Amino acid sequence: MFQPASLKGDSPTPIDERIRNKYLIIYLIIIILSFVPCSLFEYIYVQFLWDKGLFFLFFLFLPFNLLFLIYILQLSAILFSVLFLTIIKLLFPPMEGIFSRDINDKNYLFWNLRNVAKKWPLFISASNPFPWLKNRFILRFFGVKIGKKGICDSCWISSEFVNIGRNVIIGMGSTLLSFGIEQDKFILKKIQVEDNVLIGAKCVLLPGTIMKNDSKLSAHSYTNFNDILKENSIYSGHPAKLKEV
Amino acid sequence: MSNSDKSQYKIQYISTSGVYKTPFTLVIIFQLFFGGIILVVINLWFINQLYFLLTGDQIFTLGLTAEWYYWLLLPLNLYGNLFLFAFSIILFSVIINKILNKVSPPREGVFERGTKEWKYTHRRFWNAYFPIWLARALPIPWSDIFVYRFFGVSIGKNVVAYEGYIDPELIEIGDFTMTSLNICIFSHLIYHDHIIIKKIRIGEACVVGPQTIISPGTVMRDGAVLGANSYTWIGQELEGNLIHVGTPVSTSFPVQSLEESQEKVERIKKKHIENEKGDVK
Repeated sequence: MFQPASLKGDSPTPIDERIRNKYLIIYLIIIILSFVPCSLFEYIYVQFLWDKGLFFLFFLFLPFNLLFLIYILQLSAILFSVLFLTIIKLLFPPMEGIFSRDINDKNYLFWNLRNVAKKWPLFISASNPFPWLKNRFILRFFGVKIGKKGICDSCWISSEFVNIGRNVIIGMGSTLLSFGIEQDKFILKKIQVEDNVLIGAKCVLLPGTIMKNDSKLSAHSYTNFNDILKENSIYSGHPAKLKEV
Repeated sequence: MSNSDKSQYKIQYISTSGVYKTPFTLVIIFQLFFGGIILVVINLWFINQLYFLLTGDQIFTLGLTAEWYYWLLLPLNLYGNLFLFAFSIILFSVIINKILNKVSPPREGVFERGTKEWKYTHRRFWNAYFPIWLARALPIPWSDIFVYRFFGVSIGKNVVAYEGYIDPELIEIGDFTMTSLNICIFSHLIYHDHIIIKKIRIGEACVVGPQTIISPGTVMRDGAVLGANSYTWIGQELEGNLIHVGTPVSTSFPVQSLEESQEKVERIKKKHIENEKGDVK
């Protein structure tokens, strides 16, 4: 969990360059708006302490003030990106299925737009000392269902179409992809991970994977598209095959 | 060839190291508070001195006198705060670690969920988490080796260890060993409702390839090489001066010089061409 720089990245949401350049303004608006509560907080801090002549308290709370600013920035970034996300979802609701990888295709266009709106909060929360903040707190705001009593702090989880049950352990550097790009096709399919599942270190789950209750995936293996892992079973290999029930 | 001792730990698959979020996680906030207080005290003293230089008056009188060269320390102060914060937290957590070790020292074996060992591995982990995170966030990431040494992991000279996940206890790494990107060295492993803890020994001049997993109890002899994208079984022994690959490690071959491997490639190419000619005829 004390990750190196290579594991600290935000969740895997590639954005088509043509769409990103066209709608860069959304990204900039979210960044600027999320700094507004920070400056408001700083204004109140200075007015209450510096202007009233309480220099000692001003300097005493300065390091905590700076630390607090980072968290205000992260929370406000979530707020404004969720605001934009709901607008984008109202314009075109997200759907599962196989679509063509073309900017004229509405599904592909709006999937990229949603990623543009999510990029900023995921980026600033990636460099956070509290490991549970990104994968539990922020992803829940984006509509990912994550059950209680689990371990999912040092892995990459796609920010939509993922359902994770209770008491699920996901290993270091594992990746849960609910999207896939195959030549000129673009695939969006839900990943379902049910209760008491164990996923080893450095696994990859491809879209459409369903892991039933108490199933186990050994370390260093990946599942295929639309794989269904049975209950109380162990899977391993590339791609994962049934090992023992 | 590699020998694996499966008699002691009968397991079917390698999983992952797992540490739950427990109430002890709040130790991070205590560490932050302690580091913050030391930061505030030293900065208050420094700002007081600068204020004295500017106005000839002190915000709070300590009876100290400042000199002109205190201005030269101003840029150092801004950047040095980072290091001061990190090292005061490292000191504080080492003291907590010593206390935890007195209560329940790290032990090898298989333990059930909810036992004393399970609890204390979690506690030692969360205590070590924040200082190592801080050391790696500093502009000199290799300083994490010193933090590991403070926590009882013996790491030799000239070791690269900052590009992967390494457990903070029961690990020995020899001199001149190199670990690559995205590696996991687990000295504890979750298996169903049990936790398996076993010491890892990595010898001198070893190379751990990228994207590998080293399971508990692995012994790497001097000069052993673990190839990319492979993992070791529990209690596996890797022989020295050989390259080991497989998931789990099953094949091993000698390290070749560049000329030897080029000759081998050419021989295979020749064979391939001859086979193709034979097919045509």
